[in-house]
Amino acid sequence: MSRPYIRFWGVRGSYAAPHATHLGVGGNTSCVEIRAGDHLLVCDGGTGIIPLGEALMHSPLREMMVVFTHYHWDHICGLPFFPPAFSPAWKIRFFGPGETAADIEQRLSNQMKAPYFPVEIETWMASIEYVSPGSGTLQHGPMTIRFHNVHHPGVTYGYRVNVAGKSIVYMSDNEVAYLKTSIERRADEFDDDEHHILASIEREERLSEIAAVKGADILIHDAQYTPCDYERKRGWGHSCYVDTVNFAIDAGVKSLYLYHHDPTYDDAKVDEIHRDCERLILERGATLECVVAREGMVVEI
Amino acid sequence: MRRVTREMTAATPIIVVVDDSQAVRVFFERIATNVGVDLRTYASAAEAMSFLSERRPDLLFLDIIMPEKDGLTFLQELRRMPLHESTPTIMISSKDYAQDRGTAKQLGVVEYLPKPMTGRAIQDAIVRYAVSPAAAT
Repeated sequence: MSRPYIRFWGVRGSYAAPHATHLGVGGNTSCVEIRAGDHLLVCDGGTGIIPLGEALMHSPLREMMVVFTHYHWDHICGLPFFPPAFSPAWKIRFFGPGETAADIEQRLSNQMKAPYFPVEIETWMASIEYVSPGSGTLQHGPMTIRFHNVHHPGVTYGYRVNVAGKSIVYMSDNEVAYLKTSIERRADEFDDDEHHILASIEREERLSEIAAVKGADILIHDAQYTPCDYERKRGWGHSCYVDTVNFAIDAGVKSLYLYHHDPTYDDAKVDEIHRDCERLILERGATLECVVAREGMVVEI
Repeated sequence: MRRVTREMTAATPIIVVVDDSQAVRVFFERIATNVGVDLRTYASAAEAMSFLSERRPDLLFLDIIMPEKDGLTFLQELRRMPLHESTPTIMISSKDYAQDRGTAKQLGVVEYLPKPMTGRAIQDAIVRYAVSPAAAT
């Protein structure tokens, strides 16, 4: 049996970017495969899930679990074109935010209703199960999957997957350190006593953010914006890469994969971001490994 | 659960705060002692259900990002209970996004206070919706 691995099928955020200038990084939206032997976990169903599905139709596998961080289009829009869902040979378990299994089904199926799509999920021939939210932990073969709430518009999850003694955290969409900048921007509104309390609140929120990724071997995290673009797009639910790098260092992460690349950034710009991340890590004297998540990249766990 | 009250009578408004931040809960406790309400604070939705499954507070403050159930999903669950279909509720969150505000509005919240909140904003909300609710109508 081969060693467990991660494969990036889609690394773009917001919308697909199939431009020649972007293909060194990749144009498909969020989709990551985590494979341990015969057990397949798919994180998100952006356009990257389409080529994954086509590849799976030629594999001996017939079961998988797909977990969604949330239901924004760039994370689900590949599902209507996902061949295994239309094949009776497959068994697929879906999970994502929602109070019940019916909530998850409704949120995934709504994008396939008329007039937005010609066929509804009734045409899915696979055996589909929508997994009820339980205690915050799911099991898929040898993979233990924990989910937690993150900072993004609408209820959005991050996932921590433990497999083969390693810990992988997938947080595709997360605006890290948002409260800190909110306090800074509104500093004039508070008196000294309130500032003291707010410092405690901010410290607690930071510790809570860090707890979810602490000590991860691999962190796949939103690094969508440059500092300049973040100034204009603060409050859109995505991180500036500077905050992402500092977050990973503070949490003692071993390897950070910059993810959810802005669709307007070409290969050269993403490489420029990566160089600046390396500079930041060096400046802090940290040992963090920083990698640009690229479509087709395979990482052995 | 932590409970803070001044001299309490049967008419003393009951305020429930659900937030995983201890500092936020302490902030509310300081304000409650000024306003004269019966304040009950909880660190999670599960913890708060011990009270909310049987009692309807005069005002409920809910955080959104919490380690287990998020505040919006929790409110959706509460709204299905006859006891809480109209419990006055205020979301308190560092998430200041239109989508969350929209979901909260659909769930019938009376206000959405983005963190950081001033003590004055919290106190005004308690007075408006629990101490002198007639003024809010």
